[in-house]
Amino acid sequence: MLLPKFEYHEPSTLEEALQLLSSLGGNAKVLAGGTDLLVRMKQRIDKPAHVISIARVPGLDAIIPRNGHGVTIGSAVTARELSRHELIIDRFTPLAIAASRLGAPMIRNRATIGGNLVNARPAADLPPACMVLNATVKLKSAKGERDVSVNEFFRGPGDCVIEPHELMVCLNIETPAPWSGGSYIKLGARKTLEISMVNVATLLTLEGPDGPIIDARIALGAVAPTPLRAFGAEEFLIGNKPSEELFQRAGEIGVGFCSPITDHRGTMEYRCMMIEALTKRCLMRAWENARAWKP
Amino acid sequence: MKTIISLMVNGEQVEAAVEPNKTLVQFLREDLGLTGTKHGCGLGDCGACTVIMDGKPVNSCLVLAVQAHGREVLTIEGLAENGKLHPIQQAFVDKGAIQCGFCTPGMILSAKALLAENPQPTEQEIRTAISGNLCRCTGYQKIVEAIQEAAKSIEGTEV
Amino acid sequence: MSEFSVLNTRAPRLDGPAKATGRAKYADDLTMPGMLYGAILHSPIAHGKILHIDTSKALKLKGVKAIATAKEAGIVKYGVSPARYDETLYAYEKVRYVGDEIAAVAAVDYATALEAVNLIKVDYEELPAVFDMFEAMKEGAPQLHAEFPGNLNAEVHQEFGDTDAAFAESDLVVDHTFLNKRQDAAFIEPHSCLAVFDLDGRLTLYTSTQVPHYVMRTVAMVLRIPVGNVRVVKPYVGGGFGPKCEATPLEMSAGLLSRMTGKPVKMTYTREQVFLHSRARHQFYAEMSLGVKKDGTMMALKNKAVLDGGAYTSFGIATVYYSGSLLGGPYKLKAMKYDGYRVYTNKPACGAQRGHGGVAHRAAFEQLLDMTAEKLGLDPIELRLKNIMQAGDITVNELDMSSLGMKECIEAVREGSEWDKKKGKLPKGKGIGMACGFFVSGAGYPIYRSDTYHSTVVIKISEDGGVATVLTGSAEIGQGSDTTMAMIAAETLGIPLENVKVVSGDTDLSVDLGAYSSRQTLMTGHATKEAAEQIRNKIAQFLSEELGYPVESITFRDGKVFFDGQPGNFEKIRTQYIKEHRGWTDPPSGEYLTFREAARLAFLKAGTIVGTGKYKPPRLGGSYKGAAVGTSPAYGCSAQVVEVTVDMETGEITVDNMTDAHDCGLAVNRTLVEGQMQGSLSMGLGECLFEEVKFDSRGRILNPSLGEYRIPTALDMPNVKSIIVESREPNGPYGAKEVGEGAIMPTIPAILNAIYDATGVRINELPVTSERLYLAMKKAKEQG
Repeated sequence: MLLPKFEYHEPSTLEEALQLLSSLGGNAKVLAGGTDLLVRMKQRIDKPAHVISIARVPGLDAIIPRNGHGVTIGSAVTARELSRHELIIDRFTPLAIAASRLGAPMIRNRATIGGNLVNARPAADLPPACMVLNATVKLKSAKGERDVSVNEFFRGPGDCVIEPHELMVCLNIETPAPWSGGSYIKLGARKTLEISMVNVATLLTLEGPDGPIIDARIALGAVAPTPLRAFGAEEFLIGNKPSEELFQRAGEIGVGFCSPITDHRGTMEYRCMMIEALTKRCLMRAWENARAWKP
Repeated sequence: MKTIISLMVNGEQVEAAVEPNKTLVQFLREDLGLTGTKHGCGLGDCGACTVIMDGKPVNSCLVLAVQAHGREVLTIEGLAENGKLHPIQQAFVDKGAIQCGFCTPGMILSAKALLAENPQPTEQEIRTAISGNLCRCTGYQKIVEAIQEAAKSIEGTEV
Repeated sequence: MSEFSVLNTRAPRLDGPAKATGRAKYADDLTMPGMLYGAILHSPIAHGKILHIDTSKALKLKGVKAIATAKEAGIVKYGVSPARYDETLYAYEKVRYVGDEIAAVAAVDYATALEAVNLIKVDYEELPAVFDMFEAMKEGAPQLHAEFPGNLNAEVHQEFGDTDAAFAESDLVVDHTFLNKRQDAAFIEPHSCLAVFDLDGRLTLYTSTQVPHYVMRTVAMVLRIPVGNVRVVKPYVGGGFGPKCEATPLEMSAGLLSRMTGKPVKMTYTREQVFLHSRARHQFYAEMSLGVKKDGTMMALKNKAVLDGGAYTSFGIATVYYSGSLLGGPYKLKAMKYDGYRVYTNKPACGAQRGHGGVAHRAAFEQLLDMTAEKLGLDPIELRLKNIMQAGDITVNELDMSSLGMKECIEAVREGSEWDKKKGKLPKGKGIGMACGFFVSGAGYPIYRSDTYHSTVVIKISEDGGVATVLTGSAEIGQGSDTTMAMIAAETLGIPLENVKVVSGDTDLSVDLGAYSSRQTLMTGHATKEAAEQIRNKIAQFLSEELGYPVESITFRDGKVFFDGQPGNFEKIRTQYIKEHRGWTDPPSGEYLTFREAARLAFLKAGTIVGTGKYKPPRLGGSYKGAAVGTSPAYGCSAQVVEVTVDMETGEITVDNMTDAHDCGLAVNRTLVEGQMQGSLSMGLGECLFEEVKFDSRGRILNPSLGEYRIPTALDMPNVKSIIVESREPNGPYGAKEVGEGAIMPTIPAILNAIYDATGVRINELPVTSERLYLAMKKAKEQG
């Protein structure tokens, strides 16, 4: 399969990249891992006149712990790196699990967190995990920068708040409070290489290992035009002692927030039923991880 | 407009002028005549185009040739040394892990990358490492057995 | 001393190192100086009249060298079976599916060829289209082919024995219906070819095919080139599985464009085009009734099949017969009635895919058997054991089970899977299921009516060195036929395997019908054996003349010659050989005369030593209409036990392990036989759980990619315990018969039966996605 013709730019500094985006903006696409963009270009869904690679822009590919309070993840960090990083696995578990379930090994070696977020596909793996972690993304342009919560980042399928002249440079996530635990579950047909039919990320914070839930976050993907937080289900959980029945109920509430479509991967009815089952299951796993929290 | 790229392929320095829209798999197959890397789908769905770039297996159909500038690429042709098969290649031959052979170069390279960082993988780790390489002929079993065999024969030495 | 010196071992396959190092060249790896690149224009609509084709703009594009439409190609009807030649290379009045070929372009590079394709302007009058086989059969449905009213491409009605009487005698009649979906073979290598029409009017076509012989004939016929001037050469092939069993528009276009331009033309399908071309597994609807006695004795089977054939016949005329004939065994039936219908729809044509027309109906039947066993209170294995045929039995539709290790296969998987420990004792959500199956070992008749030999083989012994080269038109497509023929030649000649070379897949070498219907081990194997015997006899004759021993006393094994089992006195031969090879550092030595020396003597006496072998099956089958389809010189059979875990909350199915026993007569190469078994199971698993080609309301394929058409990955496929059963087929060379397709037969029903065991829910529609199973479980629960 052939790629269409385009002009290629490989800026070697962030300033250069932002300048290019300023001038080319609407006619350019940013190339990071390429596992989404190049596929869409081969399918002639995207035909940008300009492609700006960020491969040589320094400072975008690091995972930087911030003194136990959080982490800064460069937008060019790959899924593979996220899935294997000890800090991410330990403290930002939903993200590590989601990254490990993205595509397959070769894809994970190239796909970046920035790309996965900016492409804004409703079924993408990393957004729900970023959402339950309350991540904020830093968007830079030649004129300045802004931080946007991931929970306000997505607008529709393939559509997010990033402007054509902006570049996502990193994510900032605060370390969840003690006695927090999270997880991620993905439902697909095969055990790998899948685009989710339904995916769920959860984060629970307990008041001590046997305490009630003091914070709950549930994010659902592939069941609405954007990934979304099931705030009603979260509110329902807070203050209650965790149990399977409680989580079952939360799952039922979560369904009400979703508007899944019927497509050739699955029907709306089944997706709704799976939201219930998988939300419960993902909360159970989050609970297990929360109880096992270690300082 | 063409760009000059310079990269290492199978340990040799290579320099060429390429169009930006040329993929790495095209460059390897068409410009360098290294047809061991196969093209099965073009979209990263099958893994037949797997090469090792800077130590990691990637779908070369989703890497631009210009992105490989300054990098080290290992293709299947770079494995055997002086006519002697690499232990992974030998194991594939010995264990019947090859039928039509079209997925084989990609499989072997995914296995090589795995064993380089995990010399004693479990069966599940092996299956995960090759989970992006589709095979329609073998059902994967003899491929897994070959990688297990190769791990034994390499036993932790530098690959 | 073991029975064989070469056969029945795990010798590494001959082409392993070439494939492991990337040295093996597949069609798309080939280049030639001056090569052009071709691309095809496909119809974007499912059904329509072609009003006008304008190639003028495309022709003007810089770099375009030729464009072919029906005008340049001419109108020659072709297909797979002469009884149904219903397609032309390019559509000339109508297009009948999204993907139907209209034109082809040759240009200096692929990008230019694609650009030119987009510049060809076609005016259509769109016609209503029909995509469902039942809709297509109705009155008033859009008609695809004027010659086939009601869109009925083929109709089969057969009855063996008196089914009404047998049903009347039955104590129980069980009914069942079943529906699978259209599938794709999903070989990892897309079709590709390089056509070279040279200056003396000869066409050489290098192509990824299973059947060089059939491709040669079709290309010669359609392009109107004398058949002796067409040579088809098969390079390495990255999988076939059926759809590469016929000449493709890709091959014919490349040949035509090469003739038009005088240059080599390379053409390769994109993955999407592989789906558009299809020629893969049909959708089958099965409707069956089985009559049994209360002790489980099978009486009668009534079987109906409706096949969605797509827009052209392809292999379909054989497919619709197989859906019936392949249920004649491996169980004894008093009577069988079959009605089959193959229907045209405005979708890509379906053809033969691993197991051909047998797979879906076998799945339906083996489910039906489990349902029957349950009603009778019998263990599923017991029901089968009670009814299986034995070697020597003839089926109700006159198929001869000359060897049949069905009992051994069933017992092997029963034991190997610990069935008795598990059946009925697994917790909810876990299940165990079994099934059986059988398949032809080569179709009894060629695709075109002819007395042709099905395989001919030439073996040439090197004038020096004692190396045998096997020359065969047969097709190595990954299954291991080259290695198999080398082993048969080595065994027969009595020389080590490393002294045998194989050159294959070239129509210049010999006639061989190719790799389909699981025929090559048996048929090409026979021809190879005969050619080797001829050589052995010749050499023995010369030795006899030279040394005085009687011919019958001379035997060969492991590269040595025995005279009544003894070394004999062969001094003069050795002396002469050494004299001829002064300076060599590896003179023949040892107690025994070597094959190298014996072959050299033969050459000195008579010139180049060549042996030829040939094989065609004897006249097989009954005299009823369609009797040919299903006939075979031998039948392979198999049994499988599968264990599954079902996630009761989501419907997700995990196949935990599979135990498979296959009777291949004699395993020429044990590793290769296991490989075929494991690969068959993997395709069966995929077809059962994931695979489905989906269309939108306008006949366009929704999932023409390996991302959305899902075949099993290494994480989906469990380990398989493979057990080889060897019944020593009398009609097979050294007792060998098939394994390539028979092994897929039990897989789908074994999984379905295991799912039933795990959940109490019987799914009779494929693929069994988690959604399908989940909703079925939910419905069952609601119904109490």
